[in-house]
Amino acid sequence: MSKDLTSKPLFGENFVEHDGYRYYIMKDHDMVNLSELIAYDAIIIEGTSAKLIEERVSNIRKNLNQAFFLIPVFVLKGNFSLPIYVEELIDGSIFSIDQVNLVTPIVHKIHLRNNEVTINTALSYEAQLISKTLTYMYSRELNQLNAQLHPNSGIGFTFPILSVNFEPKEEFRVLEILEIAEKEGVLISEFHDRTHLCSQCHTGFLAYRECCPKCGSANSESQDIIHHFVCGFVGPISDFQNEIDDQLNCPKCTRTLRHIGVDYDKPSVLHECFNCGHKFQDFNVRAKCVTCTFDNDVQQLIGREISNYTMSKKGEMAAINGFTSTSKDIEDIIGTVKLDTYRTMLKYEIERIRQTDGKSNICAIHIANSGQLYSKIGSDMQKSLLKDMVELVRRNIRSSDMITFYDSSTILLSMNDIPLKVGQNIISEICALIEKLLKTNFNDLEVDINYNIKRINFKLSNELQIQQVIKDFYPDV
Amino acid sequence: MFDLDEFIAYIQAVGAAKLFRIFWFFVVFEFFRYVFIDFVVLISWRVKQYYDKDKLNDARAQMEFENPLVSIIVPGKNEGKHLFKLVKSLREQTYQNFELIVVDDGSDDDTPTIGKTLEKNGFIDLFIRNSVRGGKASAANLALRFTKGKFVVHLDADCSYDRDAIEKIILPFYMDEKVGAVGGNVMVRNYRESLVTTLQAIEYYDTISIGRIVSSHLGIYRIISGAFGAFRKDVMDKIEGWDIGPGLDGDITVKVRKIGYDIKFAPDSVCLTSVPNTFKKLSRQRLRWDKSIIRFRVRKHSDVFKPTQNFSLLNFFSFLENITYNIILNIKWYVYVIDMLFNFVSQIKFIFVANIFLYTASNYLKYIFFYPFRPRQNAPFAYFLPYLPLMVFYFGYYLRIVRTIAYIKEYFFKASYKDPWNPIKTSNKAKEIGI
Repeated sequence: MSKDLTSKPLFGENFVEHDGYRYYIMKDHDMVNLSELIAYDAIIIEGTSAKLIEERVSNIRKNLNQAFFLIPVFVLKGNFSLPIYVEELIDGSIFSIDQVNLVTPIVHKIHLRNNEVTINTALSYEAQLISKTLTYMYSRELNQLNAQLHPNSGIGFTFPILSVNFEPKEEFRVLEILEIAEKEGVLISEFHDRTHLCSQCHTGFLAYRECCPKCGSANSESQDIIHHFVCGFVGPISDFQNEIDDQLNCPKCTRTLRHIGVDYDKPSVLHECFNCGHKFQDFNVRAKCVTCTFDNDVQQLIGREISNYTMSKKGEMAAINGFTSTSKDIEDIIGTVKLDTYRTMLKYEIERIRQTDGKSNICAIHIANSGQLYSKIGSDMQKSLLKDMVELVRRNIRSSDMITFYDSSTILLSMNDIPLKVGQNIISEICALIEKLLKTNFNDLEVDINYNIKRINFKLSNELQIQQVIKDFYPDV
Repeated sequence: MFDLDEFIAYIQAVGAAKLFRIFWFFVVFEFFRYVFIDFVVLISWRVKQYYDKDKLNDARAQMEFENPLVSIIVPGKNEGKHLFKLVKSLREQTYQNFELIVVDDGSDDDTPTIGKTLEKNGFIDLFIRNSVRGGKASAANLALRFTKGKFVVHLDADCSYDRDAIEKIILPFYMDEKVGAVGGNVMVRNYRESLVTTLQAIEYYDTISIGRIVSSHLGIYRIISGAFGAFRKDVMDKIEGWDIGPGLDGDITVKVRKIGYDIKFAPDSVCLTSVPNTFKKLSRQRLRWDKSIIRFRVRKHSDVFKPTQNFSLLNFFSFLENITYNIILNIKWYVYVIDMLFNFVSQIKFIFVANIFLYTASNYLKYIFFYPFRPRQNAPFAYFLPYLPLMVFYFGYYLRIVRTIAYIKEYFFKASYKDPWNPIKTSNKAKEIGI
C-alpha cells in the first residue's frame, strides 16, 4: 500500500481518518472503553497533563491483549513535557490534529510488522510478558530494552514496556522476568547498574540511615576524640571546649591546645546515641523501606544487577512465531494435553461427528483479569494454581474429555457425546467452583471468569471452531 | 680450684665478728629486710586477717547487697589475638555486674576487626579504635572517660583471671573506705616455658607477691600492676587518670596515695600473665621498669620527701623504702664488692662461695617458711625447689646489673623519654615540661 502523505485527513466526532487509517482521538473527559478502540488503527491522546497521558498510555500498554498493547499511540502535545519513560511507550507526538498525516507512515509500518507477529498464547504469566515485550519490540523495530532511572518505580529503574504491566509494589518481578528471558536466550544482557531492594517487599525506595548499633536509633551525635600529648588526657572535643572563646583547653592540665600534631591529635571519632546513651564508633547503617516501613539491616538487602537488554535473533523469532512457555512453565500439567494434541483430537472428533451425527461440544474458560491475578503471585504459585484448576475441571468432566491451555488465561475443554445444555450446566458449575477457588486464595481480588461453549460443527475446521469459542475473550482474533 | 675442706676450715676459723664484717651486706640488708622483717610482718598480717574475719564477711555482704557496676578497661595495641580468650575468662567470673571497655591504641593487625566483632556480638560493651597510637596512658584514659561503674578495673588483654578475681579485687574497697586502689596478684602462666620464665615465676611468686603482702600490710604498698588493678572511679576522676609512661603503673599508685587514699594488695585475687621468655626480652622489660623508678620516684614525685601541706609519713616511708632497697642498696652492693676486693682480696673466692651459700639458704628458708602465707600456689611445691640456687645469680647479678644500667641511663641521659614503648610525640612533650 502506498501512502499519500499529502491527502487531507477526514474528521469525525471522536476520530480522524487519514489514508485509510482511523485514529481515535482520546480526550481528557473520555470515559472510553478499551474494547471500543479495537475498531481503530491508532490512538491520539489529547491530554492536558502529563499525568493523565501517562495513565492513558499505561492502560493501553499494560493490557495483555495484543490488539490493544500493540496499537500505535500518539500524543497531541500541550505545554508540558512527558517523562522519558512515557515517551518510550508512545509512537510519537504531534502538535495538532492536522499533522496526523505525518504519523501515518509510522502507523503503516507498525501495522505491517504487527501482522508478522504471532498471537500471544503463552502459558504462564512470565511467558506472556516476555512474549508481549518481544512482540512490542519487534513491532516497533526496537532492538534495545534499556533500564531508566525512574523515581516512581518500585525498584528505582524502569523498563517501560515491561514495567508498565506492574504496580510499583510488584515491579521487582520485572527483574525476574528479564532473568527468565535471558535464560531462554531471547534477550542478551549487559551490565548497567546495581540496586538494592527491601528484603520484605522487594521495592527499592529505601531511606539509608546511620543508626546506633544497640537500639537502632538515628538520633546521635558525633564528636572527635582529642588526645592531649602532655598529660595524656583523652576525651571528646566537648571536654576541651569552653563557653567563652574558641580555645581548646585541657580539662586535666588546663593547658591550651594550640597545634594539632604538636600539642594534640584526634585519634578517633565517637558517636553517642541520644536514645539509649550507647557510645560507638561504627554506625550500623540501616535501610528503612519507604514502601513497607521495614527497617532492613544493609546486609539483608537484596542486591540486584540492573542490565540493559538487546533482543537476540532467537528473541526476534520468538516474537514472530510466538513465545508460548518458559522452561519454568509446566511442561505437562497432569490431566491436560498440549494444544497441538487438542487440535488434532478435535479434528478427529469433527470427523467422527460427521460420520455418526454425534453431539459433542467445545468449551473455553477464560480468566479475564488473569494479568492482575498472576502479577500478584510468582510462577511457582501460578503453576500450583493452574494445577488446582485443572484438577477441579478434571473432577467435573468425564475422563475421556480433553483439557488444554490455550494460554495462561484460557482453558479449552472438549465435552463429547453430551447435549449442549448439559454441557452448559457442567461448565457453569466448573466456573463457579474456579471462582470459589480463586476467591479463597485471593480474597482481595475480584475474579472475573467467563466461559463459552459451542456445539462442534463438522462443517467447520478445527482451528476455526477454536477461534469461535474464544473470540469473545479475544476480540481481535 | 675451689677446695671444700679448705672452705669449711676458713669458715670455722673466722669468728662471729669477722663473719659479720665480711657478710654485712647480706646480714644487714638482705636477711634482715627480706627474711626477718617479712616473716614478722606476715605473721602480723595473718593475725590481723583472723581478727578481721567478721569485717570481711560484712564487707562481702555489703558488696553483694550493693552489687556495684564495675568498669573493666583493657587498653592496648595489637592485643586482638588475646581478646576472645579474655572475654571468655571474664564471662566465667563469679561477679558479673561489669561493663567491658576495650581501647585499641592504633593497632596494625586484626585487632579492630576482632574487637568490633566481639562488640557486635555483645562480648564487649564498648570497643574504641584509635587509628593513631597515643600510648598506653592515653588509651587507658580514653577508656576511663567512658566508664560508668563505681570501680574501674584495669586489665591487660594477654592475661587471664581466676573465676573470683574481680570479686576479690573489689572486696577491699568495702573493708575500708580509705582504700582508693587495689592491686591484684599477678602470677606467671608460662613458668614451664624456659629457664627465664621459671626464674621470673619464682620472683613473682616469692618476692613480688610476698613483698606486696608485706608492704600492703605496712601501708607502704607502692605499685599496682598494670595487668590487674582496681581503682575507685571517684578517685580516678580526682587524679584525672593516668599520666604518660613508661612506668605509669607506679605513677598512678603514687598519685592515689598522694591525695590521701590507701592502696591495698589483694593476694587472693589472681591473674595469670605470660612473662618474657628470653633474657633479651626480659632485660628490655626490666630496663623500662627500673628507669621509671628514677623518673617517677626520684624526679616527678620528689615532693613526697618535702614537708609540704600534703606531707604523709606513710608516703615518705613508702618512697624511702623503695628508693633505699632499689637504688641505694644497689649502690651499696657495689660498695660491698669494692670493700671485699680491697680488704679481703685473698679470701675473695671463699667469700663468693659463702655468699652464694647464704643467699641460697635464705631462698630455701623463705620458700618454705612463707609457704603457709601464700593464698594460692603457682606451681607444685617441689617444682621450683631445684631452681632456687639459681635465684642468687638471677637476683644478685643479672637483675642488679640490669638495674644499674637502667639507673645510669635514666639518671644521666633521661633514656626513658626515648623508649619506643611510648610514642615519641608524647615523650617529647613530657621531656619538654619535665615530667
